Amino acid sequence: MKVVVLGAGISGHTCALLLRKKLSKKHQVVVISPNEKWNWIPSNIWVGVGLMTPEDVTFPLKPVYDKMGIEFIQAKAKSIYPEGKGANNKPFVVAESTNKESLGREITVDYDYLVNATGPKLNFAATPGLGPDNGNSLSVCTAEHAHETAKKLNKLIEEMRSGQQKTFVIGTGHGLCTCEGAAFEYVFNLEFQLHQQGVRDKAKIVFITNEAELGDFGVGGLHLKNNGFITPSRVFAESLFVERGVDWITGTHVHQVEPNVIHYESLDGSKSSISFDFAMLLPPFTGAQLKAYDKNDGDITSTLFNPGGFMKVDADYSGKPYEQWNAEDWPKTYQTSFKNIFSIGIAFAPPHQISKPLKSANGTPIAPAPPRTGMPSAIMGRIVASSITDMINGKSDTPTHAASMAEIGAACVASAGANPISGSAVSMTMFPIVHNYNKYPDYGRSLTYTSGEIGLSGHWIKKLLHYAFIYKAKAKPFWWIIPE
Amino acid sequence: MSLIESKNYRAPTATPTTLFLRSFLPWQVLRFIIINIRMTFMILKSHGKKLKTVKK
Repeated sequence: MKVVVLGAGISGHTCALLLRKKLSKKHQVVVISPNEKWNWIPSNIWVGVGLMTPEDVTFPLKPVYDKMGIEFIQAKAKSIYPEGKGANNKPFVVAESTNKESLGREITVDYDYLVNATGPKLNFAATPGLGPDNGNSLSVCTAEHAHETAKKLNKLIEEMRSGQQKTFVIGTGHGLCTCEGAAFEYVFNLEFQLHQQGVRDKAKIVFITNEAELGDFGVGGLHLKNNGFITPSRVFAESLFVERGVDWITGTHVHQVEPNVIHYESLDGSKSSISFDFAMLLPPFTGAQLKAYDKNDGDITSTLFNPGGFMKVDADYSGKPYEQWNAEDWPKTYQTSFKNIFSIGIAFAPPHQISKPLKSANGTPIAPAPPRTGMPSAIMGRIVASSITDMINGKSDTPTHAASMAEIGAACVASAGANPISGSAVSMTMFPIVHNYNKYPDYGRSLTYTSGEIGLSGHWIKKLLHYAFIYKAKAKPFWWIIPE
Repeated sequence: MSLIESKNYRAPTATPTTLFLRSFLPWQVLRFIIINIRMTFMILKSHGKKLKTVKK
């Protein structure tokens, strides 16, 4: 049997390594990814403030796959033929090479099982002027973007040393962005770095976010048991912003980023602008824009993907109103309508947001998209690898493992300044990720297993995770002992 | 919340003791151990579940 994994990010790479470990050598594991290197994305924020280099957070994939006995094809998947084509009943994927030596060449790869872990397309085009390539803002979404951001930051620090005042705007560049946690981490690492460089007094820092309130993080915020109170995460987030002298603007949709000016709309419908010298704004995500065709070359993309390009799996996509949302809506096995195709990580289509979706008074949607990066992505990779292994080995005809985001938790460490003595990070756990009011009627989450605190120990944990996960991703001895 | 509102808003703030403990080494070593234990429990509860095998 041949298992093809599209994408080599956190979920795809985890899935491929575990498939190779679990399946006997007579079966083939193939990874198709446009990127030559693996990237530990959570540490990109440290590249973005100049504390790490792109080489510290990336490594070439091919040597790891060669060592493991996984075939690696450096290419971008373009289309899927789940029924084969014409007289050929074998399903296959069409990809376009991104390897320098065969750039643009079309490649066809057949499969018995397919895992779509293509991650997001960074949709900078959603907001005019957004992004580092054709726009006026910076990004930390890739190691290269983060490196460019650090160069710009260093230039500004030099200008501030000569006495100039600068305005930094950090946050989300669209009303439907996700990964607000990354913007949160970057703003506090930036603040910390400016402080370390002795120019903090020359900087005005503003956080602009599509979250209706600070501490939402796209998961509707957390409720934490603390000193005899059950307190929303907003309280802790706001206190940190005040402590560090960072102003904030919540509930925004950025309409346009002009050179040095951001135009945005707020939930109350008002439209405003803010000037900047340095803006790091995250883009919204779409799916990888794969196409799908039936046996007769008919377009079945809408059968497999939602309009955003995310792959539909075993979730409830009936589009119920917010009041009727249920934990049961969320996918469990990540199997699609084709029993040999699975989709994991950011590539799968969530049935709806986790935070309450809002619209501005003008009707503009301002609603954080559900985060599904990091730990949940890797867990999806693990359970899908287990299910496919059992299905290939004839143990079951249906998936044997499940991990609904309404039944699993996540641990998240958000850096707020990188230094082994004076640094800090917010260490959070939430259980489950998606509110499960069937099980936890009051707050949707367990108050025992949902926690959060800030301190130096969080920084040590974040640094430890950096080394541990890169070690694991390199498949070094006993890599599988390290949990997702 | 607008920029002006956020500037004028008297948000909850940490006490001097809380701020001190955030970087007080012995306390942070203890917290490091406790957070790791807490996260280990979370990880143990969050690696999915096995479903019944189905043979058609």
